[in-house]
Amino acid sequence: MNDFVLIRKNLFRKKLRAVLMIVSILIAFAIFGVLTAFEHAFNAGEQVAEDDRLVVVNKINFTQPLPIAYFNRVRAMEGVRLATHANWFGGYFQDPKNFLIVFAVQPETYLQVVDNNYDFTPEMRDAFIRERTGALVGETLAKKWGWKVGDRVPIASNIFSQKNGSRSWDMTIVGIFKNRKPQADTNLMLFQYDYFDETRSFGKDTIGWLVLQTTSPAVNDRVAKAIDQGFANSSFETATDTEKAFNKAFVAQLGNIALIMQLVVGAAFVTILMIVGNTMVMAVRERTREIGVLKTLGFSGGRVLRLVLGETLLLALIGSLPGIALAAVATMNMRESMANFVPNLSLGPSILATALVLMIGLGLATGLAPAIHAFRLKIADAMGRG
Amino acid sequence: MRALLLQIVAVTAINIRSIPQRFWLSLSTVVAVALVVMVLLSFLAMANGFQRTLKSAGAADIAIVLRGGSQSEINSSIAREQVRLIEDGPGVARGPDGKPLVSAELYIVVDGIKRSSQTKANIPLRGIGEEGAALRKDVTLVAGRMFNPGANEIVVGKSLLSQFQGFDLGERVKFLTSQWTVVGVFAADGSVFESEIWGDLPVVQSLFNRNNVFQTVRARINGPAELAELKRYADTDPRLKLDVKSEQDYFAEQSSQTSDLIQKLGWPLAIAMALGALAGALNTMYSSVAARSVEIATLRAIGFGGLPAFVGTLTESLLLAGIGGVLGAVATYLVFDGFTASTLGAGFTQVVFSFKLTPALIGQGLALALIVGLIGGLLPAIRAARLPIVQGLQG
Repeated sequence: MNDFVLIRKNLFRKKLRAVLMIVSILIAFAIFGVLTAFEHAFNAGEQVAEDDRLVVVNKINFTQPLPIAYFNRVRAMEGVRLATHANWFGGYFQDPKNFLIVFAVQPETYLQVVDNNYDFTPEMRDAFIRERTGALVGETLAKKWGWKVGDRVPIASNIFSQKNGSRSWDMTIVGIFKNRKPQADTNLMLFQYDYFDETRSFGKDTIGWLVLQTTSPAVNDRVAKAIDQGFANSSFETATDTEKAFNKAFVAQLGNIALIMQLVVGAAFVTILMIVGNTMVMAVRERTREIGVLKTLGFSGGRVLRLVLGETLLLALIGSLPGIALAAVATMNMRESMANFVPNLSLGPSILATALVLMIGLGLATGLAPAIHAFRLKIADAMGRG
Repeated sequence: MRALLLQIVAVTAINIRSIPQRFWLSLSTVVAVALVVMVLLSFLAMANGFQRTLKSAGAADIAIVLRGGSQSEINSSIAREQVRLIEDGPGVARGPDGKPLVSAELYIVVDGIKRSSQTKANIPLRGIGEEGAALRKDVTLVAGRMFNPGANEIVVGKSLLSQFQGFDLGERVKFLTSQWTVVGVFAADGSVFESEIWGDLPVVQSLFNRNNVFQTVRARINGPAELAELKRYADTDPRLKLDVKSEQDYFAEQSSQTSDLIQKLGWPLAIAMALGALAGALNTMYSSVAARSVEIATLRAIGFGGLPAFVGTLTESLLLAGIGGVLGAVATYLVFDGFTASTLGAGFTQVVFSFKLTPALIGQGLALALIVGLIGGLLPAIRAARLPIVQGLQG
């Protein structure tokens, strides 16, 4: 009989008790998995941000417009490698409830600037630049509505209207693109700024914001300062920030999501730590006599310690694996319905790594006290008791 | 019958007095249940607080006019001619001087620095008409005075002031190239209006280069009949094409989305955690029954029935869960009730709200705790009642 068999037999000696502990561990890990997946998805914007990308917005607030002339002025500045601009369209499909993420963009430059995030084929690029009413649709969004290349779809706006009074723009899908980075969300749609600007009834010659790539992250600060100073005291002052900082501030607007998630996960783990820890103390106490026998048979203190720790580690493993699996299934199921709130919900490798650390930590924390008790136990005391 | 009752009382007392023997295990059940209740109640208090903040803003006798299909103020735009048509529209109440009680407004999103995170967040700067403040429920100035018409002056809401820096009374604020002075702080019964900054409409329009641009019109109406009349007018006149809603309906719609989301997160989380706590409770109670098996069998041998053992065990479980529930509710009340937070609302700006516990919510929390106690006690109690005497006496 090797040690593992002993560990297994000890753990399942009282089946019901073992099952109950496994269930509580399973639930804590499922909660951890789902909540951490949410938190990561919320912060995905920060992760996809490139160090050399800056965002230029109106200083009053990013919902205020900037003049289109800024595009060429910024493009010509020293330290700027590439620049592009985009406009929030406030899009929806058929019913205002079917809200879509749609940007009116400058085709050539936009595709270049976000090239690290998305995989645009040369055919897509050419078609998007050539076709005035052309639109590029991300994979997730195309799948959601069953759109294919060549489809003509009317996309309405809850902000803008056309000069002819219509609320919707006809767009031809000229390409469906995938992401290069797993965190880059493809639940979005791009269409030509020129088509948008020439047809809209108000706001002509303005843009929402600029995105630019600097020649190197080292010049970010200098470029940002130069841009903001260049437009100081004009009627459209700018605020330039790294894409990372901008995305982070945006997510922070929702509230301290990370803190809420941590508190809930913390509560779940304190619960199982108490339940499993106390149960294990009790279980080992019940076995005092047996431990005395093992020691009499020549088991060293260290080996007995390893047996108890092995038992709690095995328990943590058996509980946490299905817990994480459950979390993976749950996030997969929520992925589509949550796509507009939290993009790309999934259990990434970093979450699994954290789960592994938690699992080992839980196994050690719950086993430590009873293991030390078993380690120190003297044969005479053990046999004298119970 | 009386004998049975006495037996039940006696066994229950033994059960409860034996709890200290399993102190740590019992405590872990109490804490587990308390944490479950805390998680549930803090989410419910958050959802409830957010909802109250928006709902308390909505009056039934105020109509909000938005551009058709725009859903929220930030997307809406209304032309000057349309404002005039609404002012002369049917159902709109008039003051003693015969002027319509109407406020055309411009809603601009500006940046503020959140005190807690030191990051930029969207806050609303509203240009309001002469009647603007009077058309809102319970608005009172708590410091300073109202802005003067035509001046670069603003008044700020009390909640906004508590969460954002740089808007204290007397402070000068720069938006664009213009300087504004904070001349007053207003309260509005904790409603969403307290998360706003107000200035004089024509001044805001001109300093933000938005001359003749309006986003919403608020109008006092006398009742539901007048609201329907105004709606019909806005629908049928081809120059209007506007949506008319009572302020009450408008804010109810806006609040439901966010508070539903919070509740939809809170309940499944609490139920999942309750299952974990249930496993703990079952464990504790089975241990309790096992520890007392000799005692239970002895009682049975001297003529006690199975029912007292059942009731005793169930009571112990309910008691532990009940204590956990009360502790959880008290802790939530002490830590979170009145806790102020802000999040992005439907207007794409920050809504400052306070967590609010109510007796009904606490009732839900306690109910969840007792359900855990009931299920956690039931199976072990059945085992206690059915314990064969001989086996029990062997220990």
